[in-house]
Amino acid sequence: MIGSLKDKVAIIGTGVTKFGEIWDKDAEDLLVEAVHEACNEANIDPVKDVDGIWVATFYTFSGVGGTAFSEPLKIFGKPVTRVENYCASGMDAIRNAAIAVASGLYDIVIACGVEKILDQGARGLPGVGEMNPQPVLPRLSAPAMFALCAVRAFKVWGWTKEDLAKVAVKNHYNGYYHPKAHFRRKIDIETALKAPIIAYPLGLYDCCAVSDGAAAVVLTRPEIARKLVGDEYAVIKGLGLAVETATPWLDPNFDFLGFPSTRKAADMAYKMAGIEDPRKELDFGIVHDCFTITELLDYQDMRLCKPGEGADLIREEVTTIHGDFPINPDGGLKCFGHPIGATGCRMVVELTRQVLGRAEGLQVKDAEIGFAHNLGGPFSVASVIIVARK
Amino acid sequence: MVGILSYGAYIPIWRISRTELSRATGIPSMGGERAVAGWDEDSITMAVEAGLDCISDLDVRGVDALHFATTTPPYIEKQNATIIASALDLRRDVSVADFTSSLRCGITAIRAAVDAIKSGRCKRVLVTVADCRLPVPGSAQEQIYGDAGVAFLLGKERGIAEVKEFHVLNEPILGTWRRSEDRYVMQFDPRADNVVYVRVLSETIKALLEKAGLCLKDFSKIAFYANDPRQYVRAASAIGIDVKSQLQDFLFADVGVTGAAHALLLLAAALEDAKPGDRILCAGYGDGCEAFYVEVTDEIESINEKRRGVKGHIRSKKLLPTYELYMDFKRLRDRRWPEPAKASVVTYWRDEIFELPFYGMKCKECGRITYPVARVCRICGAKDKYEIVKLARRGKIFTYTYDFLLGPGGYPGDGVYPGIKAVIDLEDGTRVLLEVTDVLMGELDVDMPVEVTFRLIHQKSDYRFYYWKARPVRG
Repeated sequence: MIGSLKDKVAIIGTGVTKFGEIWDKDAEDLLVEAVHEACNEANIDPVKDVDGIWVATFYTFSGVGGTAFSEPLKIFGKPVTRVENYCASGMDAIRNAAIAVASGLYDIVIACGVEKILDQGARGLPGVGEMNPQPVLPRLSAPAMFALCAVRAFKVWGWTKEDLAKVAVKNHYNGYYHPKAHFRRKIDIETALKAPIIAYPLGLYDCCAVSDGAAAVVLTRPEIARKLVGDEYAVIKGLGLAVETATPWLDPNFDFLGFPSTRKAADMAYKMAGIEDPRKELDFGIVHDCFTITELLDYQDMRLCKPGEGADLIREEVTTIHGDFPINPDGGLKCFGHPIGATGCRMVVELTRQVLGRAEGLQVKDAEIGFAHNLGGPFSVASVIIVARK
Repeated sequence: MVGILSYGAYIPIWRISRTELSRATGIPSMGGERAVAGWDEDSITMAVEAGLDCISDLDVRGVDALHFATTTPPYIEKQNATIIASALDLRRDVSVADFTSSLRCGITAIRAAVDAIKSGRCKRVLVTVADCRLPVPGSAQEQIYGDAGVAFLLGKERGIAEVKEFHVLNEPILGTWRRSEDRYVMQFDPRADNVVYVRVLSETIKALLEKAGLCLKDFSKIAFYANDPRQYVRAASAIGIDVKSQLQDFLFADVGVTGAAHALLLLAAALEDAKPGDRILCAGYGDGCEAFYVEVTDEIESINEKRRGVKGHIRSKKLLPTYELYMDFKRLRDRRWPEPAKASVVTYWRDEIFELPFYGMKCKECGRITYPVARVCRICGAKDKYEIVKLARRGKIFTYTYDFLLGPGGYPGDGVYPGIKAVIDLEDGTRVLLEVTDVLMGELDVDMPVEVTFRLIHQKSDYRFYYWKARPVRG
């Protein structure tokens, strides 16, 4: 039976670097920047005050082992665990850190993530050969995996390329206002529709970019939080993580119209937080929009609407910054790109800053409680976290 | 008694018009089209396809030997026939052999099959012949050569055509050659070759007729290898064959000259039009000549509709629009990004059962068939409770994509040729993900009927990784 850590963990510090094609810094520079920003905000000394660290990197070239953290920060002798769980690695680092704090074993911990992808010179994400040693079973690029879903959604629900383009337009609008975003440019529907195909039917503007970046949060228990930052902290209301198959295309029952991993992780988080109707009880959300089709399916899997109605939410502008339920007020992965280990941490940084009313970009009006959702692999891993103002 | 029990053919779907070859090379067009193997095809894959066409409606486990003949074996050291036998799901204890190094090796493989059956060692022998010869780029041979495969199942019965007499004559003639270090087929002055060719062919056929106590007039069709269509007709006239009524069509207008496969491809074409009682003579050429003839039986009428054969494959075609695309198919120019160098040969060997004969697992608990074979059923979680089952070869597309980031074979995308991949529900309910071949952008659709086809996937680790792809069902 899964217990609850509702209100037991406080987020007292957040740090995030500029995301983008960062040629003049390496993974170490980025991680140092994000971690120190988070520690400053938390009013702690990373060397003296921190009891444990979880660091997320997906690619081994971004850092392996606990030294992915200890080496760049030059903080030695502490318990550090590297977390890798596909594109949900960052949020899983936070989940593990939260469990440690809630258990009472550690008082103050850091969860952080970093990825430095551009240095590899790949078009799209670099391959991870050792992950799929079977030499002849076909492999799909990340956009191709989600393209399989778009083809089904078009066929079954009549969704269109225009629906996908609207997601890109909305997120680009939001990202324009965020100083840390990779892309700060508003686009129109025609631009999105005319873009070259990356994996049919997904075009360039349906895909998030390959970016570099790092993000970090400092977690503690609420009683310690008050001493460090007064009332300026957020609390975790619920979290969940679910792992499904790595080969959904071999499951004859898989419909490509949503992700069981997201639904199960959301159920865990909602249950822990006591949320029954997320659309009514939450103020906004941050979803894993690695591709535009993913965001629409996320609406459904996060139970903001019924299956098949995801496109209605974007058509009716429900999820714009001025809509009834803003999604990705920061511009999402669409504008930040997706430095894999960093993404889940960045989402929680944004989520925390929104509920504390100090978003760097567009602020969701009266935001008190929201969720962040991190999806990884071929729809294999999903993590959901619900955070509220103290 | 030995007879041909079944035959099959394979001609790649791709053709290029000789007008286009002429445009690109400046050599006057010889008219018509030639068959071009896809970039993921070679003699092994074409032999598998021809073999499938031959035995798809028969019991493959009853085959005792597999012969593979080609002058273009993909492996020089490593047995090609073993790969073909596995892909065709033949028994583990079949005799396998590669016949190679001469354009007449196809006939040699037939003769060896007949000998094996006559000796009583084998009841049924499958002979597959395929060639994929590469002419010097820009030469006239680019218009002449074609790629194809053909297969015959021979057995102890009369079958559709009883195999009668053979005759062999050896002479190290000029002809064509290719040293182990050569990529392209070499040739000296073809005029000198013509003289020797006609003499050797003529002597061989004459000797065969003497052995059989027959004369040329006793044959309905005569088919033999020739370097080009002109040499074919000239030789026929010189020997005294009636070109109009007796000489089998050379398949030049649609296919081209298909190397070691050609004489036997012409025999398969002749069988498609044969009537009971017909005699057909077939001769292969190369460092001498080797000829045999068959007598067609009543059973010929029951077999023709069951396979695509030569005619069916000729009808089903797509035109390669440009010579540049031909160059890419034949890898005559490099345009891809550097390839990831390694893939595990050990894994490929260990997973043979689901890679080559294409088996899946049927769970004894829930009854579902899934792919690939694994310890635990992905549907119900039962552990180690399954039997392996041969998967259906046809299905329809559930969803698909054209992947420009990850190209065919898992190579990094080049932005031009997408990796075309489809999630497919096979007819037995198994779901698979396969690359799709023989198609260009925009041809796929949800629910499109597809069938599997044996192809070369990639050559990482300098090894040839073969596996199945899907293609729209060929007409």
